[in-house]
Amino acid sequence: MIATARRCVGWLGIAILFAAGVAGLASPTAAHNPIFAPGPHVAYQGGVEVSLGYTKARASGAGGTETEQQLEISAEYGLTADWTVEFEAPFVDKAQDGKSRTGLGDMALRSRFRFWRLDAPGAQTSAALLAQIKLPTGDDDGDPRLGSGSTDVLGGLLFGHEGRRWYFNAAARYRYNTEGEGGLGKGDRQFLDLVVGVRPVLSGYLEPDTVLFLELNWENAGRDRRNGADVQNTGGWELFLSPGVFWTWRNVAIRAGAQVPVAGNLEGTNPESDYRLKLELKYQF
Amino acid sequence: MKRIFATACFAVMLFILPMTAFADGHVYRLRVDGLACPFCAYGVEKKLSSVKGVEKLTLDIDAGHVTVTMAPGAALDEAVARKAISEAGFTLRGFEQTEKP
Repeated sequence: MIATARRCVGWLGIAILFAAGVAGLASPTAAHNPIFAPGPHVAYQGGVEVSLGYTKARASGAGGTETEQQLEISAEYGLTADWTVEFEAPFVDKAQDGKSRTGLGDMALRSRFRFWRLDAPGAQTSAALLAQIKLPTGDDDGDPRLGSGSTDVLGGLLFGHEGRRWYFNAAARYRYNTEGEGGLGKGDRQFLDLVVGVRPVLSGYLEPDTVLFLELNWENAGRDRRNGADVQNTGGWELFLSPGVFWTWRNVAIRAGAQVPVAGNLEGTNPESDYRLKLELKYQF
Repeated sequence: MKRIFATACFAVMLFILPMTAFADGHVYRLRVDGLACPFCAYGVEKKLSSVKGVEKLTLDIDAGHVTVTMAPGAALDEAVARKAISEAGFTLRGFEQTEKP
């Protein structure tokens, strides 16, 4: 049963990647928003954006290889022209030390509030606050764990400039992880992102549109703690260089990207990231 | 006979042409700031097309213009257009009624 589900996750991912590839090739112009870094853009008032995402991450070290695949379903609703709420439910497949498990991961509720916006002809510059709460809905009893077992909160400050040709984004986030069952508390995490994007061909409305992105994503994790004591081989930082593409056609979008680690300093035998892949299909109502 | 027919035709045209002109909807050109990407502009289409009497929309992202054609007899109020553009997440900078399309 689990093996079948894993195969389904894998095949669906391949199907989405294939669809994205075909769509990208079919479009003479193709890409727009950051793929890994969050941006200040929000759905229009009363607008709904539904997404189906696939991510794959692999990390390896002295302790072996860890692979995680996720299928994520998310929905975003524009409460006002500057304030959105978002719900995300991941279906996780994890493999570690020869063992694997599949099931529901940690669901998250998110909200973004765009507190500043400057509109100019052909350009929009804005800043937003991000708040997120991650709920312990994933099973954390088995091995490997599908969820953290803790309720974690994240806050962030997001900046973005969208022009007809160029995009610039910056984001800073802090995630506070609470203690889960068994007295284990994952270390808090900090994220910094810098993004530049370019639209190679200036396409019009109702035409396929492509924006290419190059992101720098820095992640730092504090040491995990169990019953008040530091856990060995946890914590440290990694820096990723992440090329991505955002392809849209009217109210349909495909976002895809890859994160490649270019620098890092992780504690002890903490497994280092090999790569992360992301693919998302978005539909705007 | 020819003269009577020509006069009749002329009279009919004089009568019909103004009616045709009246039947055409008003056309407005909106200058919208902040429009940069087609995907984001979808909100403008959704919001403006839900305004009563709007028959057709044309978006020119490069020029930052939205051309709105109203149904015969309908008019677009500037305050209504401003609200729709604002709810879409953009800013209305210009509003003018143009000539016939």
